[in-house]
Amino acid sequence: MELLPQATVDGLLIGGIYITIAIGFSLAYGVMHIIDFAVGEWIMLGAFLGYYLNLWSVLDPFILLPAIFLVFAVIGYLIQPLVYRVISGKKGNPVLMGLVFTFGLALMFRGAALTGFGFYSHSIPSAISQDSFFIEMGSVFITIPYVRLAGLLYAIAITLVLHFVLKKTDFGRAVRALSQHREASGLMGINAKRISSYVYGIYVGLSAMTGVIIGSIFTLNAQMGGEYTILAFFIVVLAGMGYLAGVPWAAFLLGLVQSFFLIYLNPSYTLMAVFGILFTILLISPKGLFGRGV
Amino acid sequence: MSRKYLLLILSFGALLAVPSVIHDTFFLRIITEAILWIGLAISWDVLAGYTGYLNFGHGAFFGIGAYTTALLMKLCGWSFFLALPFAGLAAGALAVIAGIPTLRLKGAYFAIATWALSRAIQQVALVMDITGGPDGMRLPTFLHPDFFYYLMLGVVAAIFALYWFLLEKAPFGLKVKAIREDDQSAMSLGLNPTWIKLQAFILSAVPTGILGAIYAYWITYIDPASVLGDLVTDQAVVMAVFGGLGTLIGPAIGAIIIYLFKTYFWAYLSDYQVLYLIILGGVIAASVVFLPNGLWGTISGYLQTRNAVKQKPVPQEKIDKGVHHV
Amino acid sequence: MSEPLLQVNAVTKTFGGLHAVFQVSFHITPGEIIGLIGPNGAGKTTLFNVISGFYAPNKGQILFNGQDISGKPPYKLAVLGIGRTFQVVKPFAGLTVLENVIIASFARHPKRRQAEQHAWMILETTGLADRANAQASSLTLAGRKRLEVSKALALEPTLLLLDEVVAGLNPTEADRTIELILSLRDQGITILIVEHIMRVIMNISDRVVVLNFGQKIAEGVPRDVAKDSGVIQAYLGEAPQ
Repeated sequence: MELLPQATVDGLLIGGIYITIAIGFSLAYGVMHIIDFAVGEWIMLGAFLGYYLNLWSVLDPFILLPAIFLVFAVIGYLIQPLVYRVISGKKGNPVLMGLVFTFGLALMFRGAALTGFGFYSHSIPSAISQDSFFIEMGSVFITIPYVRLAGLLYAIAITLVLHFVLKKTDFGRAVRALSQHREASGLMGINAKRISSYVYGIYVGLSAMTGVIIGSIFTLNAQMGGEYTILAFFIVVLAGMGYLAGVPWAAFLLGLVQSFFLIYLNPSYTLMAVFGILFTILLISPKGLFGRGV
Repeated sequence: MSRKYLLLILSFGALLAVPSVIHDTFFLRIITEAILWIGLAISWDVLAGYTGYLNFGHGAFFGIGAYTTALLMKLCGWSFFLALPFAGLAAGALAVIAGIPTLRLKGAYFAIATWALSRAIQQVALVMDITGGPDGMRLPTFLHPDFFYYLMLGVVAAIFALYWFLLEKAPFGLKVKAIREDDQSAMSLGLNPTWIKLQAFILSAVPTGILGAIYAYWITYIDPASVLGDLVTDQAVVMAVFGGLGTLIGPAIGAIIIYLFKTYFWAYLSDYQVLYLIILGGVIAASVVFLPNGLWGTISGYLQTRNAVKQKPVPQEKIDKGVHHV
Repeated sequence: MSEPLLQVNAVTKTFGGLHAVFQVSFHITPGEIIGLIGPNGAGKTTLFNVISGFYAPNKGQILFNGQDISGKPPYKLAVLGIGRTFQVVKPFAGLTVLENVIIASFARHPKRRQAEQHAWMILETTGLADRANAQASSLTLAGRKRLEVSKALALEPTLLLLDEVVAGLNPTEADRTIELILSLRDQGITILIVEHIMRVIMNISDRVVVLNFGQKIAEGVPRDVAKDSGVIQAYLGEAPQ
């Protein structure tokens, strides 16, 4: 029974990290109506950039975060027009083609990473990797590794910044307008293409940055992408597609599921459980836990 | 139209003669597998190209067919032909279970859910004792290349013919296309989209399971990586998208080209197998951008515009009598 | 007076707390053309979607031939005999005009050959036969609206719901469509029509139902409704047609 508090804390710490992945993903969906199958691959590529930058510069991964965000935000910004071209195509079914296109991108990235980085797993050492602090209350004893706590704080900070940007800035208002009324906002003089590019850049940057955090808490390898893509989908579907406020709750729930399977059950069945929950949600409430998705 | 039929029948006839001409088992094996991939590519396209739903877990249906056969033959001691229909049934049942919650929703949900499903099943096969975990399963051996060649050819030809009839000739084909084009309009015309999509999913899944069964008995060894791995899905996707979605001939052509390329590539560049993933992904992405109708769609589109100039308008008296047929 | 074909009883449809349609009641007797009018956002299309089964009403009841159909899915209503068009036209763009109509014909003629014959007949009525083998995406707006009507007609409906099939057409095209609507009524099809263009509604409707802010504000023969002060007020600021 004394494992319960530890499992819960672990779950919340892991869940925090997923928030950043899913928020970026959700933003991109809201603005471009695209489901990006390469989300896990952006995470993986970000993690590798962090890994090599850390090797080369010996800087702490947490210090490298802004640089990684910037690099991938630029990549996302540059790649967006191509994605936009696919999903706004006249021929065939653009939504379908968008899905196929990002599926192809994901394969390419995975193949490139396997070719360039090999099959081995690595991790990104941080100055705080080795240390933990402990909470002791009677018979309850909880270990909190600093690096996980830092990951959670990072996620909270990112969430607050994004919340501020979306609510208080002109850019944020434009993004919200765009995700609510695509056609109307075009008429109101909002440059939909430009804003979509920024949002896509932010999404790719966020995913890559989170990859570095994951790489310093867990491990990274060229094949990690697929799993994180599924987890990102899971959160977004649970939250309700495009409903940002639901994301943190769904992310924490996923973290809890993972940590409980790790501690009490067989972690090999985690994906099965994740799929089971996803399946149930789709069956009962396809608009997510809160019924607010689109 | 009739020229297309003639070509199909001629190539089928030529394929029947292959084993008597080619005695090299290596080449026979390559042709057998190419035919298998034609089957997998067209069965994927039933849902993707015709219905507009992307099944990114196609491999799960192939794998479940393979594993069902292996389990029935090993644990129950059934003969292959007794197990075969159950492989199809298992794949069909999986389609029903996975399809009911997801096919009501937009295609993105379906793509996500099928992908997650295939990952989950992969994981289950990896940890279960009964499936041998990562070590996989060995089936009773039956080393008879000609038998498998004819079996594969016969089954894939039957699948092709079934799809051709249902999707190009029977009302069902127009119904799925209607749903692909606009499901709201289809609904207002008396079509139940979820039900029709589910039928299409089953139509795609059952043959895939049967192909998995034949593959398992043919290769005699299956493991999660070979029959449940992502590569089955990835290749089916690239073959259909590159060949041309929404047709049967397109994915078949795509399957032959991509499979031959893969064989060549793996034979000569076996040290760089992961490069193959880059190429697969690149072909998918490039096809979407530059060949949105695929190879076959582009060619036949070009032929159509050329023929359209010659086409005569429908004579008025035929219209008046209401007896005109296209 | 004969038994009503369609009876809308106090139907309410809300979206997130807003009443898009609020306690609307009216009925249609067989053979009538009923016009449904109102300013933009009055709830006409929502009411259409409720009647044709795309939305379930939150409150109230819809009877078709005396049978409660509220909340039944559109594909069941289509088979029962309710055909509809969409304001934003929805052709099956990648298919030919003929194929579009064949699909609709399957509801009554499950065999491909019969459905095709039936589709030709419909295309003749609606004047699209010479475009039968063209891609639906190649049609002009007038053609697409005609195709919408053809598809709905191929269901052999007893009640036809027409959503803005005249708006956006040039005067010649508009007159042809009006002629078509009148001839359909003569064939015994009952019609509920939403239209922005007053001239059309006032000329062809037997009775008119006026919606404003989701509520029915008037009902009656066109001449009386046009004089109704509430109706005039609702339309103030709208360009007179």
